[in-house]
Amino acid sequence: MTTPPRSRVLIADDDAMIRSALRAVLDAEPDLEVIAVARDAGEAVVLAEQHTPAVAVLDVRMPGGGGTRAAREIRLRSPNTRLLAFSAHSEMGALDQMRRVGVTECLVKGVSNAEIVATVRRLAQAAPGQ
Amino acid sequence: MHDGSTPQRHDRRIPPPVRPPDTALRLLVQNVLDYGIFMLDTRGYVVTWNAGAERIKGYRADEIVGRHFSTFYPAEDVAAGKPDWELEVAVAEGRLEDEGWRIRKDGSRFWANVVITALFDETGELRGFGKVTRDLTERRMAEERLRESEERFRLLVQNVLDYGIFMLDTRGYVASWNAGAERIKGYRADEIVGRHFSTFYPAEDVAAGKPDWELEVAVAEGRLEDEGWRIRKDGSRFWANVVITALFDETGELRGFGKVTRDLTERRMAEQALSEGRRLLSHLVEVQEMERRRIAWDVHDDSIQSMVAVGMRLQLLASQLPEEHATALRQLDESIRDTIGRLRNLVFRLRPPVIDEHGLIAALSSYMAEALPASRLSHSLRDELHEEPRPETAVTIFRICQEALVNVLKHARASAVEVSVRTVDNGTLVRVVDNGVGVDGPVTRQPGGDHFGVLEMRERAEIAGGWWAMTGEPGRGTTVEFWLPNLPILPLPERP
Repeated sequence: MTTPPRSRVLIADDDAMIRSALRAVLDAEPDLEVIAVARDAGEAVVLAEQHTPAVAVLDVRMPGGGGTRAAREIRLRSPNTRLLAFSAHSEMGALDQMRRVGVTECLVKGVSNAEIVATVRRLAQAAPGQ
Repeated sequence: MHDGSTPQRHDRRIPPPVRPPDTALRLLVQNVLDYGIFMLDTRGYVVTWNAGAERIKGYRADEIVGRHFSTFYPAEDVAAGKPDWELEVAVAEGRLEDEGWRIRKDGSRFWANVVITALFDETGELRGFGKVTRDLTERRMAEERLRESEERFRLLVQNVLDYGIFMLDTRGYVASWNAGAERIKGYRADEIVGRHFSTFYPAEDVAAGKPDWELEVAVAEGRLEDEGWRIRKDGSRFWANVVITALFDETGELRGFGKVTRDLTERRMAEQALSEGRRLLSHLVEVQEMERRRIAWDVHDDSIQSMVAVGMRLQLLASQLPEEHATALRQLDESIRDTIGRLRNLVFRLRPPVIDEHGLIAALSSYMAEALPASRLSHSLRDELHEEPRPETAVTIFRICQEALVNVLKHARASAVEVSVRTVDNGTLVRVVDNGVGVDGPVTRQPGGDHFGVLEMRERAEIAGGWWAMTGEPGRGTTVEFWLPNLPILPLPERP
């Protein structure tokens, strides 16, 4: 019996504690695997192009142009990657902007781990080639 | 010798003029009331008299005929020999006209216009004098009153100290001067009359042709008002309010200019001190907002993120540990979430982050959605902004709205509230209108303490250079209305 391939996830957040907590939460799932972690938008774009993850979880406010810039460029360089905005509570306005550049799901920081995992999984399954 | 010529001359003689019948002429003269018309003999004794003379001088014919006409003259004129002198002049020049005081029968004076005509017969011999007298006392009094009022007016103008009031001729040369002008500008009348009024302007204004331009505008529009720097005799500057009025005569011809100057230097300094104070206050408010903003972002970016991460870790641990430990961890996670909620509230109160990123309307909209319970208070936001207020102004507007909406929530017992934001008069007009119990009339002072946050709202508005008002009627709701100018806050001057 072979285990099905785990869906590959990229995380981009400028907060170290968030990065590592998110990584721990997603890696604990048998069908998800965090394959790259970026600290800013530029790094996120480079790593996405390099690894073509199924899902990229993007902080909205981060150095290097924020989640909006990261989303726009990842759409160009890794078109199959599904995008999830992980925003602080006050950034609802920015979410509209991110939706316009191809972000299909948004989560507000503070939601339960279960909700995060379910959303990432849903996006991974929708990604082409999964 | 005379043959041939005399008959000829006789033939060419102009026939004597047709005279009206003596009786008609006499009747006319005798009955004219407006003119005293009478005759004097060659020595000046009254020979005839008419109704006008009686009316003007008060004598009946039988009282005056035969008396010398010097009776009509004041004693000082008689002593100076004026009556006889007048007859002499009339003889020498045919007639004499004079205006002066004469005496009535009752001793009162009247102002007379007198024409004395010497009467010669055909042989050139003096036969007497015709005298026509008019009583001009009323005209004279009117002229006198006019002169007095002009004199009083002149004295008034001359002595006013607070205003420089003077005249310019048509080309702008100073034609008159008053005490106020001397006090304000430092020139005495003899130093300045005849000089051009551009003397009062700073060199840069003169170079720009401002004095002449001002006269042109005054001619074209009747008057011109200006505020600006002017120069005193000692070279110092003062801040002047100037009104130049073009003066036209009845025919429409320009006769010159009236100029009224006030020295507003003190007022200007007081205004500057006031605006300096206001600027300082604005600066303090701005510094306070910056500090709040910094704290808000620190809490937002650091503390909340950390707690979010801690919560995620706790949930993860709970899912990996046996149930007896998991329950405790889940409880811990709950309290972390509560704390995150409280911190987010704090951030919002300190500085709604959305105002910096998405502007006033978005901030108000999300505040209203968050703070007002939709179940018992329906709310709407009307956006008629043509331009986004400057960030400092937007924050002030937001804060006042916040205060007003908290009032609505706490005190109004309203079921609906509308906030409207409009660009008006180079600023922003905001109205917060509810349909609640209503305050009673305009709220100006605190009804015991800062019950409605009135003082704070008003102070915020006034510090920002605007105004604030709260009006209402019992049972008809309350309106909070305020306007803030969209002015930049001027930088504080450098302090040594």
